[in-house]
Amino acid sequence: MIAILRKILTKTGTTIEKSPFKKLLKPGFDAADSLFFGRPDVTSGFPHSRDYIDIKRFFITVVIALFPCSVASIYFFGWRALAVIATSYVFGLAAEMVFAIVRKEEVTEGAFVTCMIFPLILPPTIPLWMVALGIVFGIVFGKEVFGGTGKNIFNPAMVGRIFIAVTFPSTMTTQWLDPIEGAIGGFASYTVDAVTSATPLIKYYGTGEMAGYKELFFGNVSGSLGETSKLLIIISGIFLMATRVGNWRIPTAYLGSVVIFSFIMNLFSPGMFAPPLFQLLTGGLLFGAIFMATDPVSAAITDTGKGVYGILLGILTVLIRELTGYVEGVMFAIIFMNIFAPLIDEIVILLRYKKIK
Amino acid sequence: MKLVQTRGFKTLVEGLWANNPTFRMMLGICSTLAVTNSVRNSLAMSIAVVFVITLSSLTVSLMRNIIPRRVRMAVYTLIIATYVIFVDQYLRAYFPDISEQIGPYVGLIITNCIVMGRCESFASGNNLWLSVLDAVGVGVGYAISLLFIAVIREVLGFGTILGYQVLWDSWEGWVIMVMSPGAFIVLGVFIWILRAIAKPQMTKSM
Repeated sequence: MIAILRKILTKTGTTIEKSPFKKLLKPGFDAADSLFFGRPDVTSGFPHSRDYIDIKRFFITVVIALFPCSVASIYFFGWRALAVIATSYVFGLAAEMVFAIVRKEEVTEGAFVTCMIFPLILPPTIPLWMVALGIVFGIVFGKEVFGGTGKNIFNPAMVGRIFIAVTFPSTMTTQWLDPIEGAIGGFASYTVDAVTSATPLIKYYGTGEMAGYKELFFGNVSGSLGETSKLLIIISGIFLMATRVGNWRIPTAYLGSVVIFSFIMNLFSPGMFAPPLFQLLTGGLLFGAIFMATDPVSAAITDTGKGVYGILLGILTVLIRELTGYVEGVMFAIIFMNIFAPLIDEIVILLRYKKIK
Repeated sequence: MKLVQTRGFKTLVEGLWANNPTFRMMLGICSTLAVTNSVRNSLAMSIAVVFVITLSSLTVSLMRNIIPRRVRMAVYTLIIATYVIFVDQYLRAYFPDISEQIGPYVGLIITNCIVMGRCESFASGNNLWLSVLDAVGVGVGYAISLLFIAVIREVLGFGTILGYQVLWDSWEGWVIMVMSPGAFIVLGVFIWILRAIAKPQMTKSM
């Protein structure tokens, strides 16, 4: 995947060198080139670095992977989605900047990912000031109080969402929109004309009514801004795993355990536990599994630990979905497992290795 | 002419700032978290604590030479308990609604480390006047922190102070501020800000 990307960039580079618009295009190309690959310089002595990967490229790749989902959010819910994303960026980066200035550190790219994920997991009706409040809370209390990027225990975007969800329960659970119909969708309008309806998950637990799998898959259902189209999330997920930025173990273990666990529980009490495929395609499960559970900072680090982490996430998600008043279990499951990630790693290391006497 | 602060004044002010129980000594956190959901409850709790701490320090200071060293903790507990029961009964009789809400925490003042701490570390070794000043200082220091947190929580949670509307009508209450996580967050921020302000003084005194 990386190789293909390199090829494309090199080809574009040579075309630009030849083209008459060289001066115009060169800066943009260089920016793109350094964004993905950093400096081409090779180290002269040991150890040789085979590929240039750092925090910057890592996070930028995630932002690019999130791009289809954000475009889809505009398509389904109108240009207001863009306003939500912009608000998140302005306030999130401002909060990050304040801490960077006080601590005399650089602003890291981690904030770009947080500010991108956060709006995508919010309901489309969310007032903009709540977006601002949530992202500032997420950045400050989810990340900065622990010491900044790389030191946070919890996923900052999730912290922001939980804060908003607990603080304003009515906004977060009762005001949803049906996506805009038509070929050009939301690109022609600012927002949806207030069609308030429950999400497929809420509907299922309220009345037992199930949304069609086709609508769920392509995203033509109500839900949070970026999580409705499962197809795009899956494509982004494959892109992330192919570039090896996203870890494959956690989503596989997570989704697998949701399928197996809900299948078993559905056999025993079909009225209480939704069938596996419905579980997979509703709510923020796919989005959470691919973009949030894999957060390299707050997830488990060891390979075995990642598997255990994913399996526990799955069981927890199903249990919270079915047995509590919160229909969306992904949010709490991820934050909850964030707490245990270091412990899981510790146990894995303890069981597998011993000290030499 | 050179002026020096009197011992009494110093003792009083120390309780408010340098020895503030909430953000300096980190004592009484449990009750701080529990009662600060409304200003009214905090006010009742503050008055109760100031009352109990002052009178217990006074009593301990009076009896400091006749209390046997080995059973002093038990004696302090008995003295504190006496006043706490007094406060508890008073609240039950005259403010039943407040008592209903913060009742258990009033009883727990007995085990509040602030009260016990002042008895053990100050009143048992100082004269009556200084002990009372110290107790009042620490008690009021606790009360100020409590009210400060309570005001923030009630304004954000309900848009009111003491039940009076202070924010616009359409204010949507922050549910989290009414619940315990709100207490943790506000207390954390409160301690963070005040310790940041007090940092230069703290490093000097250490």
